[in-house]
Parts: sequence; structure tokens; C-alpha cells
Amino acid sequence: MSGQVLVFQVLNGLGIGMIYFLLSVGLTMIFGLMRFVNFAHGALYLVAAYVAYVVSLLTGSMLWALLVGPLASALLAVAAERLLLRRTYSMPHEAQILVTFAVALIVQEVVILLFDPLAKNVPVPDFLSGIVFLGPFVYPAYRLAVVAVSAAVALLLWLALERTRFGAILRAGSESTEMVSLLGINVHRVFLGAFALGGALAGLAGALAAPLRGVEPFMGLEALGIAFVVVVVGGIGSFTGALLGGLLIGVVQSVMSSFWPEGARLMIYGAMALVLLARPAGLMGRA
Amino acid sequence: MRRRTLLGAGAGLVAAPAVLRAQGTGGRLEVAGVYSLSGTFANVGDLLNKGTQMAFEHYGSATGLRINYTLLDDQGDPGRAVRRVQEAMGQGIRHIVGCTNSAIALAVAKEVHARGGIYIHMAGADEATGSDCNRASFRWPGASFTAINATLRPFIERNPNTKRWYTITGQYVFGESLLTNLKSVLQEAGHRHLGNSYHSLSEREYSGYITAAIAAQPDVLAICNFGNQTVDVLRQAVSFGMKRNVKIVVPWSTGLDQFQAWGADICEGVYFGVNYWHGVDSPGNRVVSQVVRQKTNGPTNYLQACGWAVAQMLVEGLNKAGTAEIPAVIRALEGLSYEGPTGTETIRAEDHQVIKDYYLMLGKARSAMRDPADFADVLAATKAFQPPERTGCRMA
Amino acid sequence: MSAFREGGHFPDGTTLGVGAALVALPFLLPSVTLASELVVFAVATLSCTFLLGLVGLLSFGQGLFFGLGAYVSGVLLREHGLGTLPAVAAAAGFSFLAAGLLAFLAVRRQGVYFVMLTLAFAQMGYFAMLALKDVTGGENGLTGVPRPPLLAGAGTLSGPEAVYAFLAGLAFAAYLLVQRIGCSPFGSVLRAIRQNEARAEALGYDTRRFKIAAFALAGLLAGLAGAMHTVFLGFVPPNAIELEMSERLIIMAIIGGAGAPAGAFVGAGFYVLMADWLSTLWPRWLMLIGVLLIAIVLFLREGVWGGAMLLLARLRRARRRG
Repeated sequence: MSGQVLVFQVLNGLGIGMIYFLLSVGLTMIFGLMRFVNFAHGALYLVAAYVAYVVSLLTGSMLWALLVGPLASALLAVAAERLLLRRTYSMPHEAQILVTFAVALIVQEVVILLFDPLAKNVPVPDFLSGIVFLGPFVYPAYRLAVVAVSAAVALLLWLALERTRFGAILRAGSESTEMVSLLGINVHRVFLGAFALGGALAGLAGALAAPLRGVEPFMGLEALGIAFVVVVVGGIGSFTGALLGGLLIGVVQSVMSSFWPEGARLMIYGAMALVLLARPAGLMGRA
Repeated sequence: MRRRTLLGAGAGLVAAPAVLRAQGTGGRLEVAGVYSLSGTFANVGDLLNKGTQMAFEHYGSATGLRINYTLLDDQGDPGRAVRRVQEAMGQGIRHIVGCTNSAIALAVAKEVHARGGIYIHMAGADEATGSDCNRASFRWPGASFTAINATLRPFIERNPNTKRWYTITGQYVFGESLLTNLKSVLQEAGHRHLGNSYHSLSEREYSGYITAAIAAQPDVLAICNFGNQTVDVLRQAVSFGMKRNVKIVVPWSTGLDQFQAWGADICEGVYFGVNYWHGVDSPGNRVVSQVVRQKTNGPTNYLQACGWAVAQMLVEGLNKAGTAEIPAVIRALEGLSYEGPTGTETIRAEDHQVIKDYYLMLGKARSAMRDPADFADVLAATKAFQPPERTGCRMA
Repeated sequence: MSAFREGGHFPDGTTLGVGAALVALPFLLPSVTLASELVVFAVATLSCTFLLGLVGLLSFGQGLFFGLGAYVSGVLLREHGLGTLPAVAAAAGFSFLAAGLLAFLAVRRQGVYFVMLTLAFAQMGYFAMLALKDVTGGENGLTGVPRPPLLAGAGTLSGPEAVYAFLAGLAFAAYLLVQRIGCSPFGSVLRAIRQNEARAEALGYDTRRFKIAAFALAGLLAGLAGAMHTVFLGFVPPNAIELEMSERLIIMAIIGGAGAPAGAFVGAGFYVLMADWLSTLWPRWLMLIGVLLIAIVLFLREGVWGGAMLLLARLRRARRRG
């Protein structure tokens, strides 16, 4: 395989990786902040993807889908947190895992109930349906747009974390929740905000990915698997970890499809196991 | 002493209702369908089941017996499918149809054969009428050999100058058999197979494989996989602009439902191989289409047609045999010709494969569609099946 | 009565109860085959219940060993003509070894990391199965597995009743094993590890070694269940080693209650019967299972069995007072 193709596979991988970053950054924040394992994270991705499907069906506008989808996910995340998940904060991790797993199952079945289990197509917006020439290569315009949007969101998120009060609380909270509450800050409100933000980001990933892969009820499971891998590899609780982890996993997936295609998936989980065993803090996380 | 009779009586009490059920009351025939209404394949299972239901409702009875159809929901789990079939056959049901996927079909086929029943299904795996064939099982659709030969040969005839092929193949049993058949056809035709990209069963992201395909600069891209993966690969390939200078061939497609998932813009100019098309006019298809249109107000898709076909086969066999006795029905089915959804269909005695048409279709432009379901035109209808001695089938 | 939480006596009333239930099951249920399925999954769930209830380890990877046992026994029965009993034993032994090996890696992490490791292993197992499709049959499964006599020439398994008797016997043996462990010194160390691993270490126990042994034993149980599954069905479905299987086992373990080995039987029974019955009423019955799971985790931590035991204890107290 020529060097040119390799370079392109890497670039393509970075593109995929940006979606993985959006998907995973919420999960890593919530875990880092609240030590809460959210097995329902994939469901947030799923819900936004279906909302995007419905919105694009009704209005034909991707823009609306990108706004309403993440909103729906954020609402679902907040509702779940309020009604259910906050009861499990004092429970051991196993309980949180089981409850969020059950939520994911319920969401999945509800989706199948409302829509049928067949995969649905979400059309790419017309003005993005062409291809772009990057040197000797072609790349779908839509994928390029996705990379651009993800990069912009990543930048905004970074600015929010670094420059706003809420962001500072989030960062401080992920180091020590006790310290944050000792400072008189309403920890529960911070949790809620983190949940909503994380949900919105996962939802954005779902809405962006919908035209690429279509929507089907089991896409939440796949998303959850990827998110876990990225979070573990990048380091729990770390924004840059999620970014680096996401990009790394995306590149591995893309490059492997030329060298050992059937192993692309395997490599991802192998990487996760490796990181868990060798350096559970991941690339950027604190142990 | 008392304990034994108590246990015996208990067993008797449990067994009694089952025996009554099996005998039926006054000329009834119990038929069971094995489909998945929950689990990963619920989409497929539901439509297949509806097709079978519609068919049995339409025929009503066979060889003087009223058909009573029960669904055995296996929830997408082959283990549960086998268990429910065991249970049903234990209650006296002998006539079984349907499957949601090949794993279920292969397992159920063995079970039904071991218990002296008859099983008509729609699995795609070659083994069903190959190395795993048995006297009790019959299969309706054509498998990978048929798909490749009935798609590629007419395609090559029409496009003699597209000699460089690249393939994207699912690395699992079915994908591999598509690829093997493709390679031998290409070799025969003197075309070049430039390369292949395997992908795994749960893959969703194909940009890497498509990039490799583009880099090989083929004339034709062939997609060798099934189900949602076919939909994803074609969608992503088209999004990379492959249609501009590469012809795309999809030898194994389920037709209408996939066309609807893709939309006309993706389908345009792409070659598809399908087991069934609602637009083909034949006496059998007219019957199916009429019933389906009545019930659903829409055209018939592959799943409904498949569900119908296996039911129809059973009915035809029963009518010809004049009895519900399994050996007689099996004998009646072997060599039987009837008007099925794709025209005249014949059941081959040596491996119990239905010899039927497989279509090569070409997607048309949105502006050329005469109705919302008119996604493609049929270019060729071929009966392409391996000679029975090459299938690996040793019928016991 | 919560054998895992507090230890107990071996054998005791529950032993008798489980034995009696196993005998009565084929008569209580609408079919013997349903009873066989229940029993197979009871043993599989037992592997989760044992790990979670006694050692405090939540494993989302028991499906891997279930599948391993299923495929190994299938291959041995089909390709190497072993008798049923040796094949089952070999499969269980193989899973024991595999679990032991993986345990060396897995127990190096605790809590959420451990769970994720088991998840990763489960996923890799599935891919390995697909990659080795010449041996496993890939997505088509491994069909045509014969059901030879238990040992060369003796103990033919003719008919579903004989199969059930064989499976129920194995299940009872598995139950006895786990119950015995729960009441043994080994079990009390595991219990101590679950309650406070640091303290157990301080007391001088090599907790790593104990956890590895426990994980290996759980693998044995799951592998045994997988082999039983193969014998029961006569084939190995590809979903035996899929992630969904691991999830299913956890669901059953939680519903039944991880506090006692009997919980595994109750949980498996509950789920299998619900699946069989509810699915005919409503294809989306999994939604109700999800709701039930949440309710149990929030309100009835010890599951159905634990709840039943609580009720029993309360009734006994009331009777003593009144």
C-alpha cells in the first residue's frame, strides 16, 4: 500500500476520530467528575440520531436536526439524572452500571417500539452531498463538514472549560468533589450541568453521524463500546485525553482497514485491554 | 408404589392436552413458522412472518385440511428457535416453515430432520442445500453461487470493457462464499481481480476500505456482504464519489427495502442482484402482489415474498401429495414445478433447492421513476445454479 | 439464609429445596425442553452470582466462558467422537484454565476497570470466534453436534427426559459446589475480600491469588453451562459467545439476587419463563426487564430470592412473637 494512501488513511482516521471525541468527552467528564459510570451514554447518541432522522424527515433541514437532536439528548440525560440516577450516587459502581445499562435497554426498546427495527436513511443536506478534492484524493464534503463542526465544538468546549466559571468548577470537581462542595458550590447542580453537557455532546455526535451510517436501534451499543475504549485509552476525566484517545482510535481503525481489516475492531478492544492493564490512567488521565 | 403412580399421573396430565392439540379437531393441519419478533433481526422477522401469514390466509387449506398457522418467536436466538421447535414437534406439529437467518435455519433443519418433520426455509447460507442438506429441508432463495453467476455474467456481457475489479467483502462464511464464486467467474471471463478488502461482521465504518478501493483504480467495485452492511458500504462508497468513474455491483441485495433505505440518488446507475422483484409480471407474482397490496396498500418486498414463497411451497406439496404425511409430501415436493413469486419455479430433487430466476437490475434516475417503488429496471432473469454434484450435498 | 453474605450451613433447607425444585421442574413447566433450558442458564447465571455475590466482582464477560465451553464441547463431540460426559468435563476444564489465565490479567484492576476489562475480553472472544470460522462455523454456528452416550457405551441420552435428568444432575452438582464453597474457609476469605479487600490483605491473605481462583471457578461454571447448552441443543449458536449473552447472565443474576446461589436458579427461571411467556404477548418485553432491573437495584438489592428470604424471616419473627 502506497505512502500516499497511508497518509490519507491517517487523515481519514482523524476525521472519524473527531466524532469519537464528541461521543466520548461527555462520558469521560461525567466519570471524572462524579465517578459515575454511565452505560446509558450510547442511548443519548441513539436518541439524538433518531431525532435527527425525524427532524430531517419533517423539515428537510440538517441544521434543525443538529440543534434539536443534542437538545433531546440533553433533556433525556437531565431527566434520567433527576428521576433516577441521583439515587445511585451513594451506591457502589456495580449498581450504577446496572441501572444505566437497564436505562439503555429501555431506550433501545422504546425506539424499536416507536420506529420499526429496520435501519433508516438520513439524507445528507444537499449542499454537502458532493465530494471535495484533496490533492489526489476525494473526500465526501459532508465528512469534511463533520470534522469542521467537531473541531469548532472542541475549541468552544476547551474555551468553556478553561475560561468560564462552570468550566473551572468542572475541572476542579474532577480532581476533588469534596473540595468543590466545601467551597459552597451546589455540587448537585454541577452534576446536572455536566450530565446535560455530556448528553448534548453525545447527541451532537449522533446527529452528525446519522447521515453517514443511517440510524438503527442498536447503534447505541456500538457507540457505547467505542466511547468506553476512547475514555479508557485517553484517560478518565481528561478532556485532552478524550481528544487524543478519539483521534488515536479513529486512526487505528482507519489504518488497520488497509493492513488487517478484520482485525480493526479487534485491535480497538485489544488496545483498551492493553491500556487497562498497563496504564489504567490512560494517555492523559490522573491515576 | 403410590409415588410412582402419582408421578405417572402427573406426566400424563401434562401430556394429555398436547396430544389432543396435535390431532386437531376435524381436518386441521398445524403449521409452525420460526421467525424473530424481537432481538437484532426483528425487522426481518416481522415482515417474513407477515408474508407467511398472508399466504396461509390466502390459501386457507391444503389437501382438504384447514391450515392453522402458529408463530414460534425465537427472539433472534438460534438456541431458543431449536428449543421451541423441539417443543412444537413434541406437541405433534410436523410442518415447519421459515427462518430469520442462516444460523437459525441450519440448526432448525437438523432438528426437524431428526424428528421426522418437514422444513421449508429461506436461509442464504450455501450449506443449507450443500454440506448440511437433508431430506426434510427445502430452501427457496438462490444462494451465493446463484447470486454471483446470475448477476456477474449478464453484467459482463453488457459491460465487456470493465475488466478490473475490486471487492469489499465481509469476512464471514457468506461473504467468503460470494467472493470465491466471484473470483472463479472473473477468472473464466478473463477479468482481473485487483484486490479485496475484508471487513468484520459488526463493522459500520468503511471509509478506510473505500479509500483502498479507490486507490486500486478499478473499473468495477463489487460489494460482497449482506444485510445492513451492504446498505452502509454502498451509501459510503457513493458518498466518496465512487460512482463517477467506477461501476458498482451489489450481487446480493434484498431489493425494495434496501432501495428505500438508500434512496433513488444512491441507487441510480448501480447494478443489483436480487432474488425477487415486485415489478416482474408472472401469474404467481400477480397473486402475491394482489394480496399484499390489499393488506398493506404497497408493493411487495423481498421479505414478504420470501415468507409467502415458503408457505406456498408447503401448500403445493400438500396438494400434490394429497396427504399431510411427511414422506409423501417430501416426495411430492421433489421435482415439483409451480407458479411462484418469480415465475415458474421447480424444486430440485437432489438437493431440495428451488430453481428460480435471479434478477440483475440497474438503478434508475429519480426522474425516470414511474412510481415511488420503481427504483430499478430488470436487465436479466437467470436461473443459475450449481450442478447438484458440486454442491457438496449428500442426501441421506 | 443469605449464604454468600453471611455464610451458612451445608447442606441445609435450601439444598433440599433446590434439589426438590429440580426434580419437580419438568412436571411444573409446560415442557421438558423448557426445563432443560432453565437449568442450563441457571448454571451459567451461577457463575455470575458466585463472582458478584461472594467476591464482589461484576463480570460482563461470563458469556465468553459460556461460549468457550459451548464451542469446545461441540468440537470435541463432533470432530473427536468423545462421549458426552468426557466432552462436558473437558469443556469445563478448558474454561477453567482459560478463566484462570485471563484472571491473572483481570484481577490486576478493581471496580469499574475490572468491569471494562471483562467487557473487552468478551468482545475479543466474539471476534476470535468469527475469525476461527473454519472451526466454529462462524456466523452460521456449529451444527450437527451428536449426542452420544455419556461414556463409551453406557448411559444413552434418548429423549428429552433423559437429557433433562443429565443436565439437572450437573446443575445440582454445580449448586452443591458453590454452596459448599460459600460455607467453607475459602469462601469466608472471598467474603472478606468483597467486604474490604485492604483489610483482607492486611490480615495476610494474598487476595490476588484468591480472586484468580474465584474467577477460574466462575469460568468453570460458565464453561460447564456452555457445554450443557451444546448437549441440550445439539448445536452451538454464534450468540453463545456474543456480548448479549454476558449481559443476559448479569440480568438473570441480578433479578434472582446475588446474595445466595439459589438466587441464580431463581433469576434464570424468572428470565427464561418471562422470555418464553411474555414474548408471545409483547415483542418488546425486554423493556419490562429493564424496568424490573432498575426496581431491583434501587429497592430490592438482593433480588427476588433475597426478597423472598426477607419475607420468610419477617414471617418467622412475627410467628415467634405471636
